[in-house]
Amino acid sequence: MLVVLLTTTPGMQAMTQHASSARSVATAPTAPTLSNPPVLKNISSKTGTVEVTITAAPARLELVPGKLTDVYAYNGSVPGPTLEAHEGDRVIIHFRNNLPEASTIHCHGVHLPAAMDGSPFGLIPAGGHFDYEFTIKRGTAGTYWYHPHPDVRSEYQVAMGLFGALIVRANDDPIAAIPERLLILSDNRFRPDGAIDFPDSNSVQAEVDEENGREGNVLFVNGHIMPTLSIRSGEVQRWRVINASPSRIYRLAIPGQTLVQVASDDGLLEHPVEMKDILLANSERVELLVRGTGPPSSQTELQTLPYDRYMPQTRPPNWNATHSLVTLRYSDAPPMPPVAVPAVLRVIPALDTMKAAATQVIVMSQGLINGRMMDMNRVDVHATLGTTEIWQLENVVGMDHPFHLHGFQFQVLDRNGVPEKFRSWKDVVNVPKHESVRFIVQYTDFPGKWMFHCHILAHEDHGMMGVLEVQ
Amino acid sequence: MTRTFHFARRCFGTVISMGSLAGCVQQSPAIAGRANFASTQGTQASADQILLGRALVLNHDCAGCHGGASPQSVDWLAGRKTPAQGEFLIGPCALTPGATPCFRTMARNLTPDNATGLGRFSERQIFNALRYGLRVEDTPDVDITSGTPGVGNFPTHPRYIAPPMPWPGWRYMSDKELYSIAAYLKHAVKPAINKVPDSEGPPDFWASVYTVDNIGPYPPPAFPAASERIPQ
Repeated sequence: MLVVLLTTTPGMQAMTQHASSARSVATAPTAPTLSNPPVLKNISSKTGTVEVTITAAPARLELVPGKLTDVYAYNGSVPGPTLEAHEGDRVIIHFRNNLPEASTIHCHGVHLPAAMDGSPFGLIPAGGHFDYEFTIKRGTAGTYWYHPHPDVRSEYQVAMGLFGALIVRANDDPIAAIPERLLILSDNRFRPDGAIDFPDSNSVQAEVDEENGREGNVLFVNGHIMPTLSIRSGEVQRWRVINASPSRIYRLAIPGQTLVQVASDDGLLEHPVEMKDILLANSERVELLVRGTGPPSSQTELQTLPYDRYMPQTRPPNWNATHSLVTLRYSDAPPMPPVAVPAVLRVIPALDTMKAAATQVIVMSQGLINGRMMDMNRVDVHATLGTTEIWQLENVVGMDHPFHLHGFQFQVLDRNGVPEKFRSWKDVVNVPKHESVRFIVQYTDFPGKWMFHCHILAHEDHGMMGVLEVQ
Repeated sequence: MTRTFHFARRCFGTVISMGSLAGCVQQSPAIAGRANFASTQGTQASADQILLGRALVLNHDCAGCHGGASPQSVDWLAGRKTPAQGEFLIGPCALTPGATPCFRTMARNLTPDNATGLGRFSERQIFNALRYGLRVEDTPDVDITSGTPGVGNFPTHPRYIAPPMPWPGWRYMSDKELYSIAAYLKHAVKPAINKVPDSEGPPDFWASVYTVDNIGPYPPPAFPAASERIPQ
């Protein structure tokens, strides 16, 4: 197999060092070290079975230093514990809902039977329990996440702390040897007493939140504020990054170096792709190779750059600020030798547009899909099991709408008529303001009713969601 | 940010600074040439409807803001091209530079280009925009049953077209007239590609300004109303 060498040239990183020297406050010695959420304990002794228990319940946690916050938590932690499984595994999740309201566990992006999707059709009442059970399809190893999906209450429950990572591994992962980090991005707003800040319904902030979705001013990575992540000069790390923010879109960059994208929502790309920065819309995931290009003992940071997803009427005043997410601190160890990375990660067969049985035109306006609000009793799109279809997403308003289809992974064909640069499997695609995107999807199996919606959770809750029935 | 904004209902208002005076200057009506209806074939728009729509677009001076000296112009109704053409300052800054709040309103591309104009919107949505002042992308493609937010199927949180668009007056045109304008724009104007930036405005999309108290009711009160009289 061909390889590309990811070499490091510490002497060339003057920009990186310069950028890092300007941030003495954010990288004070007290900064937390980035740690992963706990991994769910597998209580099954059977090979090929992952059996876990997830309980959603109110809790009181220290999300911001020195304050206790009433939250909703999966197994007592925010983010919730990580579910780890392998391709082909039988996954059993014993879910207990100890919240004072109905909820679900939606394994976002995972290809599973409709009854196991944790959609609004499968509400688990307060005090109820349910066993989600499904087999992970081979070829779908990737970085996923789980979160609640009740109609109308998704934004609230995620903002209260209900989200966690779901990692599917493959036995033949070509970059499995590269050390790995998990970064779950979230944001929140707090009152002075530490309570999660939801605006009064008649306030201007409530109007702004209704348009933009509720964005937080405190940015978390794995529940830490501006944590430190250590890297050795010359080292290459594989970062699995999840955007678990209900509304915020991230534009990830590390000053002075490019990022190498190796995976999108639903697993590896065909080839590593070098990017200056990476746009990560709500619920999207990306896997990156981050190269330790700085010299020993230096530091830089992971940032999110300005991105204008907003309507002018509700654009936050500080929208064009760059925010720091993680301090990347180099150890004192001397540089490592170059690391080899395969030039080919896997083959992704293209879905054939000539076989598309229909084109579904989805017009997204503010709060509406095809001019309609969500109705659980209505089917908006009918499709036949086994067929292939093209979905044409048209955003007719001046605000981005990240579009998510449940149950079926798809391939983006083009954006505004410009063919997609590289093929990948995705389950959510951002449709920027006034733009259009086409993707192709095959309903391989699993008949039933599936949601599609804007993944700005406030928009989803307000009815920017529809139902696809596959029969 | 205050939610009370002062603006005039017409472009002659004192707090609207116009990048160009074109919107306040009545243009000479273009000399109507012989209409070519080839472009309307296959649509439901009749020749009479198209000509009525064209006449209304001309005599309401839509082009004064939305571009083009006449239907001969390449930028006919194609929307804001430069800050000097089709762009307005709304708010105190119109009188006092730097005063706030200050919103820039952009005249939209009214041609039927799919991506940058009205191509994606139905004639009914254009009608709803003209009759109820709803932004064309923020009106559902249905017959609206009320003019009051939250009543009938009128949006609870309406997002209104930014001033100085004089829809509060023009909504009193008849259904036939408004639908004729929509038919003319959709079928009888050549699409022009011109991506106009989104207009700015307050977070309530002018809902606290476009109240019945400020702009009057629709439909209007029966004649004679309190300040009217039957001719003696």
